[in-house]
Amino acid sequence: MYLLQGIWVTIKLGLIGWAMALSLGVLIGTIRISPWRWLSSIGTAYVEIFRNIPFMVQLFFWYYAGPMIFGESLQYRINAIIGLNYYVAIIALGMYTASRVAEHTRAGFAAISRDHHHAALSTGLTHPQMYRYVIIPYALRIIIPPLTTEFLTIFKNSSIAMTIGVLETTFMSYKIDSETFHGLESTTGACLIYLGLGLAVVKLMGTLESRLKIPGMIGR
Amino acid sequence: MIQIKNVSKWYGDLQVLNDITEEVKQGQTVVICGPSGSGKSTLLRCINGLEPFQKGEIIVDGVSVNDPSTNLYKLRTEIGMVFQRFELYPHMTALQNITLAPMKARNKPRREAEAKAMELLQRVGIPEKAHEYPANLSGGQQQRVAIARSLAMEPKIMMFDEPTSALDPEMIKEVLDVMIDLSKGGMTMIVVTHEMGFAREVADEIIFMDEGTIVERGTDISFFQNPKSPRTKEFLDKILM
Amino acid sequence: MFDAVGRNLPFLMGGFWVTVKLMFFALAGGIPLGILVGLGRISRNKWVYYPVTFYVNVIRNIPLILVIFWFYFVMPIIIGRPLDPFPSAVISFIIFEATYFGEIIRAGYQSVSKGQIEAGYSTGLTYVQTTRWILIPIALRRMLPSMITQSIVTYQDTCLAFVIGLPEFIRRARIVDTMEVRSIQLFGFVAIVFFITCYIGSVISRRFEVKEKEGG
Repeated sequence: MYLLQGIWVTIKLGLIGWAMALSLGVLIGTIRISPWRWLSSIGTAYVEIFRNIPFMVQLFFWYYAGPMIFGESLQYRINAIIGLNYYVAIIALGMYTASRVAEHTRAGFAAISRDHHHAALSTGLTHPQMYRYVIIPYALRIIIPPLTTEFLTIFKNSSIAMTIGVLETTFMSYKIDSETFHGLESTTGACLIYLGLGLAVVKLMGTLESRLKIPGMIGR
Repeated sequence: MIQIKNVSKWYGDLQVLNDITEEVKQGQTVVICGPSGSGKSTLLRCINGLEPFQKGEIIVDGVSVNDPSTNLYKLRTEIGMVFQRFELYPHMTALQNITLAPMKARNKPRREAEAKAMELLQRVGIPEKAHEYPANLSGGQQQRVAIARSLAMEPKIMMFDEPTSALDPEMIKEVLDVMIDLSKGGMTMIVVTHEMGFAREVADEIIFMDEGTIVERGTDISFFQNPKSPRTKEFLDKILM
Repeated sequence: MFDAVGRNLPFLMGGFWVTVKLMFFALAGGIPLGILVGLGRISRNKWVYYPVTFYVNVIRNIPLILVIFWFYFVMPIIIGRPLDPFPSAVISFIIFEATYFGEIIRAGYQSVSKGQIEAGYSTGLTYVQTTRWILIPIALRRMLPSMITQSIVTYQDTCLAFVIGLPEFIRRARIVDTMEVRSIQLFGFVAIVFFITCYIGSVISRRFEVKEKEGG
């Protein structure tokens, strides 16, 4: 059935996009708290740009306008890539979600008091040692709940890829309706699929959270 | 041991330390008291280089803190500091909290660091809590682990920033006992506190700070019974009831 | 540089106007419904609490696009006649955004500490007085930044009505794009407009956040 193909695409979009978003987002979030003004401004600019423009607009920009940036000759070659919309969707999804991950990462670091930094430094640890052994492990646990929300959101946002023709779940339910007029069933099916994905994500992140749990941090 | 010479510090336009001069000799225990915002905590953080200062000089065991060529990391291995909110690393057990710095900053092997840590936990009275996480410890126990954590680096100087202010009354004594023990054992200590009982017992010198300056200093009895400055008197009246 | 935009400006801005209209209607319906939803989530009456919680949890896990679809394609089947895109979009948005506003309201309500309410009672105020003079003002101040942020999100989400052919901002940009193929200009223009408006919105929201902290 069409829907099954769609599910697989949705899952791929979500997971690969998430991998991209995590790595890029944590990097940018960390840059934002660095003491060098020029570095943190780059991070802030990135976050503000990708946050204030709707995802769909970003998607359209990359898909329609993106190839043109590369100039005349490359443009046609890029547009000829089969499945371009799929790759563009993943990149756009990754970059957009990265800006949100960056925000959460920054907030996580900001939640750790200055005195905590001082306590580590006062025992003679260097700054890199402090970050590696004290601050980062702590921040990581703080940001797991908001990251769970973002993980859920990325699957929901993957549905927007249908506007550029990516054959994912929502697109498929539309296709089924246009061919068979069984829209009610197909869209209900699609709803159930997203609900299912949502439950799976929550379960997964919940397991991760309990594995990493520190006594005293429950309920944070 | 510690020489503070004409130190002044500003946060933007606000002056928080105003021409502070003081000397702490080896083995002495100096208590600093004063209202909040008087600059006491800031002064401590200037001594171990956690906070910069604009004017003056601080020399710790021959090393000038302000000097750009000074290795602050190395300096901090010689000065221990205990904080009001304990600041134990929540993701590590008590033992791990204590062994982290010796293993990473001094490259001690794990066996040695753990043995020392257990010894210190014994000394502060809670060896059985070695494998507990901070969240499972009471405030008094956490603070004692924090003290052990600082002592693990075998510092020459120990600084305490209101170590008992965040504790329930029943737990204050257990922490103060450890500190009294330390002081009588000959450690050079600077303690910011309102616990005047502690000051009476072990302080070699008591300093009253207000609005960034040292208003008065005295030893023990003279300080409490005959405060010279009216501000000192006012403050003592408030806290001694 | 932006000549394609200039040529088609009236058409494009007409789309922007549709976007803004959609946002206003969505908020005008979504916020009141959201208040009801929020109250439902606080309710101790299980006939209210469970259905509302179910509704909220289902909707929050489904993409908005799917809700918009569902409404546009499925409602005609149920009510027997086709819907216009604009009303269909408005209703979908109201149903969707109400869940998010509901959660904000619930959080705002629950953030008022018991201590403050008890303080009110202990000075002799009645339940109604305490609610009116203490609970509601504090809760409102807490919710305000989130409400503004959520409104901005709604504004951004209006793009999604694209899928049912609503002639809003981005769809019109796309239409022009198929004719003129000046994609960088066109979508760049759309992006810039959104960026400026949303950025201003978030600055306003931050202003309220600071005010609340100071007054708090």
